[in-house]
Amino acid sequence: MSVDLSNVRNIGISAHIDSGKTTLTERILFYTDRIHAIHDVRGKDGVGAKMDSMELERERGITIQSAATYCNWKGKDINIIDTPGHVDFTIEVERALRVLDGAVLVLCSVGGVQSQSITVNRQMTRYKVPRIAFINKCDRTGANPERVTAQLREKLGLNAHMVQVPIGLENDLVGVIDLVTMKALYFDGDNGEVVREDVIPAALQDHAQTKRDELLEAVSMFSDELMEVMLEEGDIDPDLIKSAIRKGTLALELTPVFVGSAYKNKAVQPMLDGVDAYLPCPTDVVNMALDLNNEEKEFPVSNDPADPLIMLAFKLEDGRYGQLTYVRTYQGKVTKGDTVFNSRTGKKVKIGRLCRMHSDEMEDIEFCGSGDIVALFGVDCASGDTFTSGEISCSMSSMHIPEPVISLAIIPVDNKAQINMSKALNRFTKEDPTFKTFVDHETSETIISGMGELHLEVYVERMKREYNAEVTVGAPQVAYRETITSRAEFNYTHKKQTGGSGQFGRVAGYMEPLEEGEYEFVDAIVGGVIPREFISSCDKGFQKSLVKGALCGSAVTGVRCVINDGAYHNVDSSDVAFQLAAIGAFKDGYMKAKPVIMEPIMKVSVEGPTEFQGSIMGSINQRRGMIIGTMEEGQYTVVEADVPLSEMFGYSTILRSLTQGKAEFTMEFSAFKQVPKLVNDELIKKYQSDKKNG
Amino acid sequence: MGKKNLVMNNPLRILGLEKKVQDKDASMGLVMSRPGLGKTAILVQIALDSMLWGDKVLHVSIGESFDKTRAWYDDILALMGSTEKSDSFQTTVAEILPNRMIMTFKETGFSPIKLEERLGDLVQQNIYKPICLIIDGYDFQAGTHKDLEEFKEFMVNHGVKMIWFSATTHREDDRKSAAGVPAPCHEIDDLFDAVLMIAPKDDAVDLKIIKCKGCSVDPGTSLILDPSTMLIQKA
Repeated sequence: MSVDLSNVRNIGISAHIDSGKTTLTERILFYTDRIHAIHDVRGKDGVGAKMDSMELERERGITIQSAATYCNWKGKDINIIDTPGHVDFTIEVERALRVLDGAVLVLCSVGGVQSQSITVNRQMTRYKVPRIAFINKCDRTGANPERVTAQLREKLGLNAHMVQVPIGLENDLVGVIDLVTMKALYFDGDNGEVVREDVIPAALQDHAQTKRDELLEAVSMFSDELMEVMLEEGDIDPDLIKSAIRKGTLALELTPVFVGSAYKNKAVQPMLDGVDAYLPCPTDVVNMALDLNNEEKEFPVSNDPADPLIMLAFKLEDGRYGQLTYVRTYQGKVTKGDTVFNSRTGKKVKIGRLCRMHSDEMEDIEFCGSGDIVALFGVDCASGDTFTSGEISCSMSSMHIPEPVISLAIIPVDNKAQINMSKALNRFTKEDPTFKTFVDHETSETIISGMGELHLEVYVERMKREYNAEVTVGAPQVAYRETITSRAEFNYTHKKQTGGSGQFGRVAGYMEPLEEGEYEFVDAIVGGVIPREFISSCDKGFQKSLVKGALCGSAVTGVRCVINDGAYHNVDSSDVAFQLAAIGAFKDGYMKAKPVIMEPIMKVSVEGPTEFQGSIMGSINQRRGMIIGTMEEGQYTVVEADVPLSEMFGYSTILRSLTQGKAEFTMEFSAFKQVPKLVNDELIKKYQSDKKNG
Repeated sequence: MGKKNLVMNNPLRILGLEKKVQDKDASMGLVMSRPGLGKTAILVQIALDSMLWGDKVLHVSIGESFDKTRAWYDDILALMGSTEKSDSFQTTVAEILPNRMIMTFKETGFSPIKLEERLGDLVQQNIYKPICLIIDGYDFQAGTHKDLEEFKEFMVNHGVKMIWFSATTHREDDRKSAAGVPAPCHEIDDLFDAVLMIAPKDDAVDLKIIKCKGCSVDPGTSLILDPSTMLIQKA
């Protein structure tokens, strides 16, 4: 492996579900000689695509976990993360984007820019990831890459320009015209592996020239030299155009658009040339780390292999050889046998084995340098941990992690399943920060929570398949929250005298709404009315009270508890007594603080034929949804709305029947909002009756 | 900033346009200018004014993306609330946003009949009943006087009380109606109760009131727009 960082590309492949990104990755691996036969996602040979390594992924034809792989194209080392397309797995996309330097946005030439492409694009913008677009499936009926390019501009606000035009479309797709070199490219051989250059077909000369002029006009903005040559009407060196495109792409001000059909083996190789020519190498991007010795002040990482090591664990996997930790090195290098430090835990970790991953197969390597993405073996850590060589104390910028919005009760069928379930849950929570689990002490049920129905469904399936943990599953429940809306005083004395040593503690103060954050404890005790050693007991007591609110039993958030008075007893006061006093004080103040129930609101995007717009809007309206807007795009309309999650269960079935199966929707968490009075009362009633019935 | 303050600080208050919504008769207004002078900014201020009064607004944007249209609102709200404490301002914004729905169409895909269909859907299913309709980007050369008259009638029958259009004028076309309304609306100017014209003047931008039935300013008056924000500057 080369050490020259200009020869390294860390790229992600992101897109709307079913845009063919896994097929595209499969072809990339084939053309770069990493695999020697092509298997399709839903292929008849039953092998499945290489990147869809989980059994479940192959069965459903969707990518759930991003698998990392490596290939070499014309001397460039390319690390690829294949990212999931379903919005429920967004954390995978986000984590991939965090560690990648560039990305390929794959779009379907028929479906165009769909809702998930918008989400993915938003994420790429958030992490400032330069991107190129690949308009796939140009062999499909209704393919229209120019329309999709226009959508990239209109819907995503990208300065998208085609660097290729197709030769033929739909069934007649035979190749592409490269607008930079003005040559026709054809893909011969059984699997399109032989790229043949030819002259542009006469019938397409004018069209290609027009598109090239458009491209040059856009690209010349990034190069004075190119603009001068254009003004002088001289011959333009393709390298000059390429360098201008690269400049615009790296500045996130231009998105070059490639076209082709991965499935029909057309034009994947020129797209790989585009990855090399236009996407950044690790030194082209500035990544920031947080200095833990200097109030988490941001500083740029150097990318220099000679500097102290900074390495981020961005993904964990429990493979057949134990825990695999995917890491990205930002500076320094790590060699097999080295000892590194986990910045979060402060623990030393020995690097026993270093591997380059190729989906579920691996290749041992001796060292990895700055900018590299590799996997470590047997390292105990959590996703998002930073490793350093110990000379510096820093952490890579924290990752944006959305709160879970849906939960499910799971009950193991027998003892064996119980043990296996615990192992599985332990693993999953380490792997995926959006997946959480806890035991409800009232019902003794294990609750899992995550980002959507499919998200949880997949984990339940994985439990069964990978851990042999058979569980029965309850109905999905919305993760409601409770919060207070006004300030209220509390004053509670806990006193118990039942023989032996008694319990005594008085806690007084007030609670008030907290604008940002979940909970804050303020100690305003003066004069030692509550001794120092029992202050933390009060905090603990309040935190215990937050687990279950009195309205509907949901977690309480957005509360600041301030204690300013109290009393203690020399003999009877204890940690437990003050915890119980704080619990009593919380109960005392909570109902006076006008608590309300909050529910997760989802940003829903429904896309379907225009003729069904009325029905789609009606269906959203019936679900307490607020329609924010509609976008008519020819035959298709997109309806954007905010809808409470509790109303979205079973929506896919309803939508299918309303639109003859022609509409689809995606949703992602938007915010927590107060529930309407009627729903509020119903939830309280239900909670009271559940409590009564045990 | 409380809602009341925001209502009072709306720059369009100077025009006295709030009276228009209170009127029993429905009205049509027009904002005209050459391309790129800020018609959308004025339309968004009119829409926000209605929203602050609690009236539902349907903003139809022709040839512009959904996100861009929404960004206009975000920007103008941010400017209007920039001097105030953020918490209460955010609450006010959250309160008024349900009063807005944005509908975008491609230039080639829009027709008054199509909009009538959409509005019919919204009103009949009781999904959304707009009082104020904003139509930004309508091609006045494509429709006749009669088309617009019928369109207005349909909207009014569905509860819309105020319709505001934008229209682009061109330097090379100097046709004007007797009232001074420039092309392309010179032959249909009788349909509009209010016509405002944005015109650059030295370093500033003027908002000329060509006609304004029921406004608190006289026709012929010019207000000054802040060229950096496109908000009307107080006299």
